[in-house]
Amino acid sequence: MNKNYIILTILMLVLAVGTLFLTMKHEPKQIDPQELLQEIIQPTRYVSTDQVAKMIIQGDPSLMLVDVRSIYEYEEYTLPGAINVPLEELLVNDNLLYFGIPGKKVIFVSNDDIQADQMWVLTKRLGYGSTYVMKGGINCWMQTIIDPQRPAETAAATDFETYSFRKGAQMYFTGAGSEDAGSGQVNVQVQRRQKSNVAAGGC
Amino acid sequence: MGPLIPNGVIGEGWDFVIAILLGIAFGFILEASGFSSSRNLAGVFYGYNFVVLRVFFTALIVAMVGLMYFDYVGWLDLSKIFILPTYLTPMIVGGVIMGVGFVVGGFCPGTSFTGIAIGKLDALFFTIGLYVGIFGFSLAYPLFAKFFDSGAMGNVTLTDVTGIPAPYFALAFTVVALAAFWGTMFIEKRVRKNMKQYKF
Repeated sequence: MNKNYIILTILMLVLAVGTLFLTMKHEPKQIDPQELLQEIIQPTRYVSTDQVAKMIIQGDPSLMLVDVRSIYEYEEYTLPGAINVPLEELLVNDNLLYFGIPGKKVIFVSNDDIQADQMWVLTKRLGYGSTYVMKGGINCWMQTIIDPQRPAETAAATDFETYSFRKGAQMYFTGAGSEDAGSGQVNVQVQRRQKSNVAAGGC
Repeated sequence: MGPLIPNGVIGEGWDFVIAILLGIAFGFILEASGFSSSRNLAGVFYGYNFVVLRVFFTALIVAMVGLMYFDYVGWLDLSKIFILPTYLTPMIVGGVIMGVGFVVGGFCPGTSFTGIAIGKLDALFFTIGLYVGIFGFSLAYPLFAKFFDSGAMGNVTLTDVTGIPAPYFALAFTVVALAAFWGTMFIEKRVRKNMKQYKF
């Protein structure tokens, strides 16, 4: 019996067993497409800017804001406490470790909600739960929280409630003064006392 | 890096050149392994010569395990490789016909050409028969067309069908092949003992 045969047999066997270990490539697991579609049509995956503002003000420990814009935009302006995970860097630098933490609600933020939505779909497909999208993104945040518009006088009472909350949030986030102290200049009406009877006739 | 042509490492027009080079190498190896002798080939069915099984199984497991390492190292993207579409029943029937032809004629298509190359008459007649058969099938194709296209499963692999990862198949095939190598060696010895003469 040829010795080479034995060596070659063992070599081949070792190589074949080796494939069991080496091809365990990290293939991201995906959820079922049906399930993804079910989740996509749920309106509950959106949170409003008001809800986000409330959570930030109340210091909600479960809140995790994720800014999906580029690092430059993130450095220019972002929401308080937001971390930066750019959309195209989701799968690098262990960025996936931010997601799927039990008890954390991840809210994606971008300029509008398109990029945040894309990020939501990507993370959802990867199987991460409790992820949300801030409706309207930072543009909407600017319009509603940083610079809220006073509703018309004829608007419903709830609109005014929202407005007053937003004004409060505005103060919280920007430190702006209250509305009434707005102009700083007070029109002082100087009322002169009429001199009494200086030369009011006489005798 | 690979596959080379789809990834643009080698230009489009080179595929025929590569095919010729591979064909030459294939023919050379077939002839060098003794595949131009129909006695050698038919020996598998009679149990006195298992060189066909050994050569083809060796090629199979080396290529299979090698491709997996290539994929792992990044030399070849296995997901981009063309996979022959599967037609289950026609393929089984075709395999049976091929096997019968192999044991009766003593050649398979490729080896019959190596037989011609070294001037074997039986190989020549086998090849003539091959072409007559191809011609006959082409003419009669409308009769078989329905069966020919039945049982289409698409470009699937065993992993796609069963969900078992490819390395397990590779390991299973390797174990079976290696067991066959050693098993057939003993069969060969016993059968050859009873033979009066054994020539290629």
